[in-house]
Amino acid sequence: MNAFRVIYAIARADFLERVRRYSYLITLLFAVCLGYGAGTGGISLRLGDYRGLYTSAWIGAMVALITTTFVSLVGFYIVKGAVDRDRRTGVGQILAGTPLTKVSYLLGKFLSNFAVLLSMVVVLALAAVAMQIFTAEDRTFHAGASLLPFLLLALPAMAMTAALAVFFETFRFLRGGFGNVVWFFLWTFGISLPGLMARPELDLFGVWTVYQSMVPAARAGIPGYVDSFSFGIGQKVAQVAPGFHWNGVEWTAAVVLLRVGWIAAAFALVLSGALFFDRFDLSRSRGQFRVKPKQGSLAAELEAKPAGVSVGARTAAPIHLTPLAEHAAAPAFARIFVAELRLTLKGYRWWWYAAAAGLLIGQFVAPLEVSCGPLLAAAWIWPIFIWSALGTREARYGTQQLLYSCADILPRQFSAAWLAGVAVTALLGSGAVLRLALAGQTGGVLAWAAGAVFVPSLALALGVWSGTSRFFEGLYTMLWYMGPINRVPGLDFTGAASGAQAGRISLTYFVITAIVLAAALFGRFRQLRHA
Amino acid sequence: MRLVIENVSKTYRGNVQALRSFSLELQPGVLGLLGPNGAGKSTLMRILATVTQATSGRVLWNGTDIAREPDALRSVLGYLPQDFGLYPNLSAIEFLDYLAAVKGLDAASARRRIGELLELVNLTEAARRPLSGYSGGMRQRVGIAQALLNDPKLLIVDEPTAGLDPEERVRFRNLLSELSGERIVILSTHIVSDVEAVATDIALIAQGQLVAHGAPEKLLAEVSGKVWQVIVPSAELPALRQKHLVSSTAHRTDGVHARVVADAAPMPGARALEPSLEDAYLAALAAHRTGPAAEAAQ
Repeated sequence: MNAFRVIYAIARADFLERVRRYSYLITLLFAVCLGYGAGTGGISLRLGDYRGLYTSAWIGAMVALITTTFVSLVGFYIVKGAVDRDRRTGVGQILAGTPLTKVSYLLGKFLSNFAVLLSMVVVLALAAVAMQIFTAEDRTFHAGASLLPFLLLALPAMAMTAALAVFFETFRFLRGGFGNVVWFFLWTFGISLPGLMARPELDLFGVWTVYQSMVPAARAGIPGYVDSFSFGIGQKVAQVAPGFHWNGVEWTAAVVLLRVGWIAAAFALVLSGALFFDRFDLSRSRGQFRVKPKQGSLAAELEAKPAGVSVGARTAAPIHLTPLAEHAAAPAFARIFVAELRLTLKGYRWWWYAAAAGLLIGQFVAPLEVSCGPLLAAAWIWPIFIWSALGTREARYGTQQLLYSCADILPRQFSAAWLAGVAVTALLGSGAVLRLALAGQTGGVLAWAAGAVFVPSLALALGVWSGTSRFFEGLYTMLWYMGPINRVPGLDFTGAASGAQAGRISLTYFVITAIVLAAALFGRFRQLRHA
Repeated sequence: MRLVIENVSKTYRGNVQALRSFSLELQPGVLGLLGPNGAGKSTLMRILATVTQATSGRVLWNGTDIAREPDALRSVLGYLPQDFGLYPNLSAIEFLDYLAAVKGLDAASARRRIGELLELVNLTEAARRPLSGYSGGMRQRVGIAQALLNDPKLLIVDEPTAGLDPEERVRFRNLLSELSGERIVILSTHIVSDVEAVATDIALIAQGQLVAHGAPEKLLAEVSGKVWQVIVPSAELPALRQKHLVSSTAHRTDGVHARVVADAAPMPGARALEPSLEDAYLAALAAHRTGPAAEAAQ
């Protein structure tokens, strides 16, 4: 069969499977929100205290940068999972038995990823046009200046994002939650690298390309301008720089070639992924979602072993089950909590527990600032995969029907799962809270408690509503990086950076916790009603 | 103990009707729910197990509407879905203990019960190993064990023998027979021999509708005197199939021995046979396909 037709068929089926889900509407809604953020000044591009007039060039570049940065960051989490879905649904096993090549398969998945991201780019490109119409600061629309940044900045960035999502899925250790965390740091690194090294060829996201074009124009047009260039969310309102006019990036052959080079690199990345892809070979994968027999496994071992008694004897053996006593069904919350806790903590390697113990001991012996700062921060990223399993475990392992047909599932199992998450969080940070309590820092203890309930609640809500662990892993990594690590005021849910504000911040986190917990509860209630 | 299904219909997205005004009343015993793939068996099982809600109609457990008060049934329900998963990092004991806790069993009762169930499903030796290493048949046996954890009054098993080897299959059938005395057991399957072995009552379902319901003898009586054996050359078999309902064939040296369900002898020399449940099942389905119900369903 024609290879192109095969690739197209893989891409089409995967794309249709995604766009026919409600979650795709949320994806598009996210793009609309970004467009709205740009239109209302919530996300902006600034040159010191100034911004440029909202011309086609300025808006085009600004919204294209929003696309390359925010859509690539979140889009990765949205599109990653195409191969995993085939693994989980068993479609991969069917495909593995066909003449389909690894390269064709991965290219198909890459194109599907790219198509999903492309649809977000289209929404944002339309938003850019709409923004120019509604702001009406410059009524002349230049199609090239407005749309070329999308074509030459956004598309290569989306291609690389789509390729990286596929590439990550070809590696066992990047396939799951660890890969989701890695992506956030890779993205952060990718944003800052071209500026740090002043190398335009490393500029995947196009920020450096726009910077190099805009800053010289600003130097010439804005008196007293000192190369300030910032791009982000929630910046102060900037005023239009009088006398400054920017015509957009000059798309020279060299610039275009560099951008096209990223698309070529994306294809190369996908092709190289084929070298590592296991092609759904179960003997090369661990931790399957649905439990399937493996060669050389216990199943094979036991089935090969002759039965201890003859067939006739076994089948004729009397069947006896002791009837349960009346009092046997005495719902005890403690029992289900312990069961959930055990389920939560099972399946990790010895070094995971060793590192957790190390972090805990460290909190007891280190100076208070270190204990409540970096050590608590580290202790509260370590169980990220425990939290991200909350709310998604049932769907991931296909146990919904077994659980949802049990009595009082919402008040008992759901609460126990949440409490198990809180217990793990509290246990890993218990050294810090004890030190805070001994030092008489009530505000700190309160902030710690808010963090301890906030994190598993957020995980549970995101897990229940998204059905996947990816969103929590991505969002929480960002939050953790900005809060406990970079001490962005208000985002440090561990309370270490809150100081005198600890009481107010912790109260805010308690309120947020109540809201997300209610959302999680409602989400699970819906699942129970419409399973 | 009484389970009443009253005019239950279920329509999925895209106006796909899985069940149409399905009514049935059940009392202790084993109900064999037979039907072809896509007949609506699993949808009915999910509704009865309170996992899915009916679009219209109601299901009453001892007079209580299970859509309004699902926990009234859930506390006495054992459910083995057609498709289910297990937690791969847990052992069979841990997994069953987890579900026992979810089902509200106290620790001592759960421990004893799990031991007996593991023995019953022949998993004692493997009970402490992670479920990730289990074969399809072993997973199914864990599923059977979990359905019996709470000594259910209503046991719903959807395609329970899928993946079981012949020995385990026979053993499971025996188990169902043993269990049926004081409870309602609903066995959904398309394997007629499973139903034939244990069912005290049979319901045939096709295209979401109840086609026939009654004791096995009643269904057999419907085709009594209508089952024939004919011997035809291989080349004539397609023509025979076109004209009559052929329930089975076997190639022999003198030609193909075909088992035919027909009101009258299909050809000279046809020998009357004792009807089997499979004959009754196929005849009822064929009648449903060609009857007025089928036209109404189109």
